[in-house]
Amino acid sequence: MDVLLFIIGSITPYIAFFVLILGLIYRVARWLSIPVPIRFPVAPAPITYTGVLKRMSIDLFAFGSLIKGNKKLWLGGYAFHIALAVTLISHIINVYFHNLWEVIGYGWYEAVLYSGFFFLAALSFLLVRRIVLPNVRYISKISDYLILILLFAIVFLGVYMRSFGLVDVSSVSNYMYSLLTFNPIPPPSNIWFLTHYVLAQILFIYVPFSKVSHLIGWMLSTTRNMRNITRWRRHVNPWDYPVEVLTWEEYYEKFKDELESIGPGGERR
Amino acid sequence: MKIDTTLPARKYKLYATWKRDMETMNLPFPRDWSHTDFKLPQNWREIALKKMDEVVNKFRSVKLFLDICVKCGACTDKCPFFLGTLDPNNMPVARQDLFRSVYKRYFTLTGKIFRGLVGAEELTEETVELWYTYFYQCSQCRRCSVFCPYGIDTAEIMIAAREVLTAIGLSPRSLTEAIAKCETIGNHMGIPPAALLSAVEFAEEEIKEETGISIKVPINKKGAEVLYIPPSADFFGGPHWGTLKGVIKMFHQIGLDYTISTYASEGGNFGTWLGYEHMKKINRKIVEEARRLGVKWILGGECGHMWRVIHAFMDTMNGPLDFLEEPVSPITGTKFKHAASTKTVHICEFTADLIKNGKLKLNPDANNQYIVTYHDSCNPARVLGLIEEPRYILKNVCRNYVELDPNVNREKTICCCAGGGLLADETIELRLKAIRPKIEAIKRTGANFLACICAVDKAAFTEYAEHYKLPITVGGVHELVGNAIVLD
Repeated sequence: MDVLLFIIGSITPYIAFFVLILGLIYRVARWLSIPVPIRFPVAPAPITYTGVLKRMSIDLFAFGSLIKGNKKLWLGGYAFHIALAVTLISHIINVYFHNLWEVIGYGWYEAVLYSGFFFLAALSFLLVRRIVLPNVRYISKISDYLILILLFAIVFLGVYMRSFGLVDVSSVSNYMYSLLTFNPIPPPSNIWFLTHYVLAQILFIYVPFSKVSHLIGWMLSTTRNMRNITRWRRHVNPWDYPVEVLTWEEYYEKFKDELESIGPGGERR
Repeated sequence: MKIDTTLPARKYKLYATWKRDMETMNLPFPRDWSHTDFKLPQNWREIALKKMDEVVNKFRSVKLFLDICVKCGACTDKCPFFLGTLDPNNMPVARQDLFRSVYKRYFTLTGKIFRGLVGAEELTEETVELWYTYFYQCSQCRRCSVFCPYGIDTAEIMIAAREVLTAIGLSPRSLTEAIAKCETIGNHMGIPPAALLSAVEFAEEEIKEETGISIKVPINKKGAEVLYIPPSADFFGGPHWGTLKGVIKMFHQIGLDYTISTYASEGGNFGTWLGYEHMKKINRKIVEEARRLGVKWILGGECGHMWRVIHAFMDTMNGPLDFLEEPVSPITGTKFKHAASTKTVHICEFTADLIKNGKLKLNPDANNQYIVTYHDSCNPARVLGLIEEPRYILKNVCRNYVELDPNVNREKTICCCAGGGLLADETIELRLKAIRPKIEAIKRTGANFLACICAVDKAAFTEYAEHYKLPITVGGVHELVGNAIVLD
């Protein structure tokens, strides 16, 4: 047990964290290493950087493209991402800046619990939708269900622990602090916490290798982040290659009589 | 949303390229084959995977789009080919998945390890059959991309995927026949110079009969100020004919110093739908002709995918066009700054500017027999963002103008379903199903004239109107301009 505790408390957290960070860096570097041979934004597209910033901000903060076509999915997806953001932020505050709650107000600390319920509801919606709607079921792979189930399990355990006071936040906090100093103390040996914690580590490792990498990838989407200025500023394709075409001279030889019937040298003025 | 898992659209396949066209175009593996018997080369899998590796490392968008799709399903009910057939493989994400699953299997870590669990699949002959079927049921209209939270564009994935199909010797006749003609004769229709002259003379005669005015259209004229490039369909007649006449009348009224070309008599570019090389080849002739004739700038006619190429690719693949001058309208003095580098202006931009400056003598009553509605073609709307200009022109040349349902209009337009190489007789059943929502929308407006700025639209909607018994005339925006032009 102690060995296991040591591994999931002192070794795998570092692995998970560095796989997440380095994995995402690798992913982005890999995308960036591939050229953008054509400027091909989806119009109507802005012609200024400010316009692009606006367009992408609407996509980031309001899921602007999604709401155009599917209001229900927008609601579910938006609720999910908001709950995710609230959860991540409150975890950081809880663990590393616990005193901040005094500034923010403990009312908010209480409210975060309810955001957990909200989170579970949004996840359930996404999962049920994936199972029930024939079109979405058709495009779903096993991994698409698993990621939702994984998230659901993590959030459920978190909410469960909080609701029944099964874990001492300050001991978790102390442990997490010790990770920062690379001198980890054993984690609280609480089965609820440890399960929650291990699943979260699995999630961290999964992110860079999966569709969850959309969290950064969306920024590189060339149909959204490019300006519609292709006729105004030349875009260069680094792998462009020459082609051979039928020249005017060859064409003229081929159709000499016909062209001369139009006029001398094929010209009609 | 209902789906039909019997894959009802699987039976719609474009016919195979002729062997002789494959030879003309230097396509890989020229042979006699058919859409039911591919006769794939021995090492096809190896070639396909090599090409796949190449394309995902050539287009950042393609790799990114294959990687980040979260399968949310927002695009599923946005593709007209899905709405018309309920075939799940016509949902944009499922169409991409046919390619993505193979990409995952051979080029991603998770796919190599977890296989089916993450949707990775082997590349089999059946996969290729599905590829050839469904990759050529996409008109590359980009409607799905509008609604995707990350802007994932099926069109770009299809561009890459079709390169892979071409590499193993699979491409449809509907594209290659036209491309081969374009590369050897000068245009998709295969109109040789003398026939083009006859068409122009015929248009001149008709204008003379109608207005009493004699016009002589310059052809291959060196030193003209502007090179006018229409799609070759305009010389062919049918729903395109009015546009050619309209443009000729307009140019005459404003006294534009222009020329058309027989060598670059094709604005359209079927190469766009096959791959980079042939797109570049076809487009190259426009650039070379502008150089040879010594014109100042280029004016492009009413054509959709031609404008995809000119707007988004021409300067990149065949530029810089620094031997031309920054376009300035000789009539109004307007500088077309947005075309400063490509030096190519869209006819609707040009005409809208003329109208705005009061330089056209128009009688909108000439179109009083029409209730006009406008169909946004996919390329002008979603590649150029050319949405207001045609509407501005229409409102000035006719009295009765109505808009289509906003759900299938402007950037949300449902395309003509005949682009991307689908304009072929063998797909008519499929296209008629796909176009239905658009036809219903047109019906609801009560219009009797459908104005388009794309040759494929005009050809396709004429067919559709006939089938759906829609009492509507299909024609170009500049056909209506031509009607309203007062010549004296």
